Amino acid sequence: MSAGHLSEEDYISAKAAVWRATAILGVVTVVEVAAALILGPKLPKILMNSFYAIASLAKAFFIVGEFMHLKYEKRAFMISLGVPLVFLIWAIIAFASEGHSWFLMNHPK
Amino acid sequence: MAEVLEIQEEHHIDHLPTPNNGEGGEDSPMKISYGKTMMWYFLLSDAFTFSAFLISYAAIRIAQPWWPNPNKVFNSFPGMGHANVPLGFVSVMTFVLILSSVAVVRAVQEGHRMNQKGVMFWMVFGILGGVAFLSCQAWEWNHLIHEGLRPFYNPFGPDANGITHIVEEHQRWSPGPIAFGALFFGITGFHGFHVFTGVLLNIWGFTATSMGVFHRRGHYEMIEKLGLYWHFVDLVWVFVFLAFYLM
Repeated sequence: MSAGHLSEEDYISAKAAVWRATAILGVVTVVEVAAALILGPKLPKILMNSFYAIASLAKAFFIVGEFMHLKYEKRAFMISLGVPLVFLIWAIIAFASEGHSWFLMNHPK
Repeated sequence: MAEVLEIQEEHHIDHLPTPNNGEGGEDSPMKISYGKTMMWYFLLSDAFTFSAFLISYAAIRIAQPWWPNPNKVFNSFPGMGHANVPLGFVSVMTFVLILSSVAVVRAVQEGHRMNQKGVMFWMVFGILGGVAFLSCQAWEWNHLIHEGLRPFYNPFGPDANGITHIVEEHQRWSPGPIAFGALFFGITGFHGFHVFTGVLLNIWGFTATSMGVFHRRGHYEMIEKLGLYWHFVDLVWVFVFLAFYLM
């Protein structure tokens, strides 16, 4: 994006997009905390944790897409950043199952 | 035909111009500057560092039969004494960081319009938000240390009745999982260190803007790069919040 060439309409719509993303981030955070306090003690932990994880990922997408402007970059650039993160899926599964295995070793039935 | 001639002139190519598909090094295929690209890849590497911390936290936590309930550990609010406000203060911290991030987005947008005063105005709010977040974190750390949490000692055990009032006598309690303190101080501390360096960089960005450095340069790309780093700090907080306060 060349500097100083942002048209008035682009500027206004960019501003609106940012405030919208802010509102969404705020609302999602309030919903997460409210769920933790109201539903947390009642519902199964696995269900609550899945909800928190999905809500946090949604927040992450808004921050990266809108605030960090990645949504407006070239697709090839997005892929170059996104593909390495695929390794984290492996890491999460591997270390979670390792942790569970430590638990079983320390607390045999 | 006229377009072809134009391209030839612009790039000073002797041979016939090839279609502009980003090959040959004359053009940047990703249409993003070197500086911003490198900031993104640095942040990618930093994302792996934080992921490694948070995933180790998950592995250690899963290996424990019991873990302190965040609603009980993080339930204090400054100036409210022993009032039970679960997750209240940390929610405020989250909003402070989001709003600080928004301020820097606005600064970047004003930079695109070469509006020096606008960039300075929003950078001030970005910096103040960062300082406010660090102050909140200092209070929270101080409070937890006061309650007895140490990197190698965790007072929040399963028997600690209403676990914030562990100092009361005749209450039987045993220490909680020992890694809790090290993980909490280590990970929130590493994030706080990022916030701290971000604030310093933003102060430098504000100063350079006020001296007209970027205006003379003709673009405010430096503010964009500072912005990328600052939003990343906000992004990491989303996952720290998830791991320590929600789950």
